[in-house]
Amino acid sequence: MSGRREHPMTRAVRPRAGARPVLAAALGLTLVAGGFAAWTGQAWYAAAHDDSAAYAAERDRALAAGEQAVQNLNTLDHRQTDRGLDLWESSTTGELHRQLVDGREEFEGQVKAAKTVTTARVLAGAVTELDDRAGRARLLVALRVTVTTPDRKSTDKDSRMLGELTRTDGQWKLSGLGQAPVGGTATG
Amino acid sequence: MPTPRHHLNRERRRQARADQSAPGPEGPVGLLTEPAPATRRRTAAKPVREDREQKEEGKAKEKEAAARARHRTPLLLVLCALTLLLGGFAGWAHGRAGELRDDPARANTALTDPARTSEIKGRTAEAVAALFSYDHTDAAAFDRAAKTFLTGKAVEQHRTLFAGVLAQAAEQKSVITTTVTDSAVERIDGDRARVLVYADQSSVSTAGTARKKDRDQGAYAGAMLAVDIVLRDGSWLVEGIDTFGR
Repeated sequence: MSGRREHPMTRAVRPRAGARPVLAAALGLTLVAGGFAAWTGQAWYAAAHDDSAAYAAERDRALAAGEQAVQNLNTLDHRQTDRGLDLWESSTTGELHRQLVDGREEFEGQVKAAKTVTTARVLAGAVTELDDRAGRARLLVALRVTVTTPDRKSTDKDSRMLGELTRTDGQWKLSGLGQAPVGGTATG
Repeated sequence: MPTPRHHLNRERRRQARADQSAPGPEGPVGLLTEPAPATRRRTAAKPVREDREQKEEGKAKEKEAAARARHRTPLLLVLCALTLLLGGFAGWAHGRAGELRDDPARANTALTDPARTSEIKGRTAEAVAALFSYDHTDAAAFDRAAKTFLTGKAVEQHRTLFAGVLAQAAEQKSVITTTVTDSAVERIDGDRARVLVYADQSSVSTAGTARKKDRDQGAYAGAMLAVDIVLRDGSWLVEGIDTFGR
């Protein structure tokens, strides 16, 4: 009886002495965890909203689209000119696109007459300029073009392509393509 | 009259004794706290009051403690939950940040670091021009360029590339001049980079009258190559030359 009576008293005293440090420790841990959360959260936010990262991602998108477009424009099978030329048109925009559409029939006739199959492989490519906001870029694409004639002879030719990209509706497309000129500059 | 009082006292004493031997619920003392027989034996009324006070005080303390415990237990739980939650978030955010930072697009600082990009382009143009040019009047310059700009396997690659050319160039008293016309940095990864180079190469032979026509015209060729460069002791050196299998 007396033991039971004593109990509430000790219970009232003991937690006061015992729970304070536990509570303090728990609070300390919570604060430390909060500190870590704030720190890592900030690092995550910074990483997710890094301008240069977004720029790098855009650079890689432009390069991938540009390389694919350059390869597309150097690929044509005389047996499937419609499909090939449709791909040319869907890979381009602006002035280049207009030129391709205008010259399509004439070019199709030439390829069908020559009966050539042209394939291309990208050896290397890199972006030289990128205007993220304006949606314009320039790139270099080193290309190996293989032309197979009707007599099954194939010839390889390396092309040093200079491409100009324009972003339309969120997609990078070729708006200009040419070969790097040879000679003339190296006269000395 | 002493009798009632004496009797009363006796009665009290007996009661107290009975209490001690068998504390029962019948006496008001037995119901109350703390067997303090000495005190109780002397006066019954005082201990009763004290006990009541003590009881009330105890009850209040008990209530208070219970309230505090009731209050404290969820608080502790909340803190634990909060700690776990925050810790979990911290771990997750750390992982996400690391993932984002390790993204290959971000690791490549070509163009995103314009200063380094243009430094690399300039240095590569300089190296390629020196390494791929040859003047029969100053053959030592060619070796000097190799020593200055090459490292690792590029030394061997450069030698192989020029093995046939050098003998012929010396015989024909050629002047080979290489100029980089376009270049683009494919990748910069810390102190390593890869650059795509378009170069013009002109070759002029100055030997004999039989080759007068060649000498006058010269020969131009467009070349393309990729160069791996590495930063060593503050300067970029060519570590690999890729002529794409040509």
